[in-house]
Amino acid sequence: MSDVYIVGADMIAFGRYPDRTYYQLGAEASLKALDDAGLSIKDIGAVYASSCFNAQSMLGQKVLKEIGQTGVPCINVSNACASGATAVREAFIGIKSGIYDAVLVVGSEKNPRGMLGGAPHDGPPPEGLFGSESMPAVFAEAGMVHAAAYGTTIEQFAKVAVKNHQHATMNPKAAYRKETPLDEVLASEMIAWPLTKLMCSANVDGAAALVLVSEKKARELGMSRAVRIRASMLTSDPYEPRNPVMFDANSVTRLAAAKAYEMAGLGPQDLDVVELHDCFATAEILHYENLGLCGEGEAGRLIDSGDTALGGRIPVNVSGGLLSKGHPIGATGVANIVEIVEHLRGEAGARQVSGAKIGLSHVLGFGAAAGVHILEKA
Amino acid sequence: MTTDSLVMPKPATGVIRIGADGRPWIEGFRCGDCGAAFTEQTMACRRCASRNAPEAFRAVDTGKLYSWSVVHRSYPGVAVPFVSAIVDLEDGLTLKGTLRGVDADAVRQGMPVALVFDDAGGARDKDGVPYVGFHFIPRGDA
Ligand SMILES: [Zn+2]
Repeated sequence: MSDVYIVGADMIAFGRYPDRTYYQLGAEASLKALDDAGLSIKDIGAVYASSCFNAQSMLGQKVLKEIGQTGVPCINVSNACASGATAVREAFIGIKSGIYDAVLVVGSEKNPRGMLGGAPHDGPPPEGLFGSESMPAVFAEAGMVHAAAYGTTIEQFAKVAVKNHQHATMNPKAAYRKETPLDEVLASEMIAWPLTKLMCSANVDGAAALVLVSEKKARELGMSRAVRIRASMLTSDPYEPRNPVMFDANSVTRLAAAKAYEMAGLGPQDLDVVELHDCFATAEILHYENLGLCGEGEAGRLIDSGDTALGGRIPVNVSGGLLSKGHPIGATGVANIVEIVEHLRGEAGARQVSGAKIGLSHVLGFGAAAGVHILEKA
Repeated sequence: MTTDSLVMPKPATGVIRIGADGRPWIEGFRCGDCGAAFTEQTMACRRCASRNAPEAFRAVDTGKLYSWSVVHRSYPGVAVPFVSAIVDLEDGLTLKGTLRGVDADAVRQGMPVALVFDDAGGARDKDGVPYVGFHFIPRGDA
């Protein structure tokens, strides 16, 4: 089976786009990725489109109505915050199978405003009556398990926000590009202990796109900027005794990571750069261990050490992450891969992780799904 | 618990059952093959996939706090702050509920808690029928 290569990768600046539709945002990202690949939509054999809130509206077809209706199959996927990674994996399978030589992946989202979450229920609204269903509370509770087990402090959680906001100052496509020192993070509005407002991801709109090709097509186009997908993995949540009463952010990610490392024939020690799902500051701490970036219980010390900051042993979320680059749900998984591709190509500008050869991207979808991709400079 | 004497209350959430005498309890479901406990009835066991459907059991009302958050900002109209709690009951069922009657600074993993049925904040359905809810309170000793 052919290896799969990324030859086009781009995104629009994340932010608020009140005057544009989600498919216009997706179309713009698609054109940018096609231009990056040096290809036209007429070269594309299939479109894989991801959105959490709009996949069912035929997102892929709506994008093609903006950029050229070539009649190719459109696969529209929704998988919570793992929607984008799901689309990339399906596209990967499409190329691997030999059916397509070149496919377009586009993730696009206009997030609803306000705090996300809260499904409809019979009976009185459960919020406040039966604990909290809000995402900040859910990830606060996940973090407090780590705090209880290992003594992780609110300062350690807050340092994730300090780091990622600092990284975002170097990313022109990040929604928020303002440094937030530790005292500012701790002093911002308390949302759900231990998460303050600056430790919660930025609710914004955005779109990102990738062009995936077969090895044959990659050689035709020239390998100089091509990035090889060493692993593309997607998991659902395995049984955990407290699930679904307590959302389990860990086991679904650990399963995806283990399978991705196996597929790539690599381990966490081989990674140069990581984009992981920092939907909340507590989540990044948990995922350090879930992805094997440090040992069990060592995540608090890892953030303290500075090893996950740009210039450290294993820089994490150099883009600014979901905390400050922003989290347009269905676009996030695609954008995380765009970031890794830029580093492997050496095109990440001021935030470049020097000499990056291998990178990992991870997303976590509530409910649950995890996507892990391991990429290597071809 | 305050309910109307003539109107049978309704469960405010899925795990509550109410007897003919109006007394509520929590119902769990346990797999006879592997022992895993669930808050809802499923067709097969989520853990071991046994097709012997998990069987209903009446849960105890004591447990220990597994995790929590003090919620300061919630959806519009919800009174804050409150403590959102994940509680492991002593017979293996895990519930999410609001922990009351405790200083937020004193909340700790492993603290013993008791489940208390209540009137679900006085909620009524469109026909005026009251609901039965629950919350947790700290237990003096384990
Ligand atoms: Zn079982």
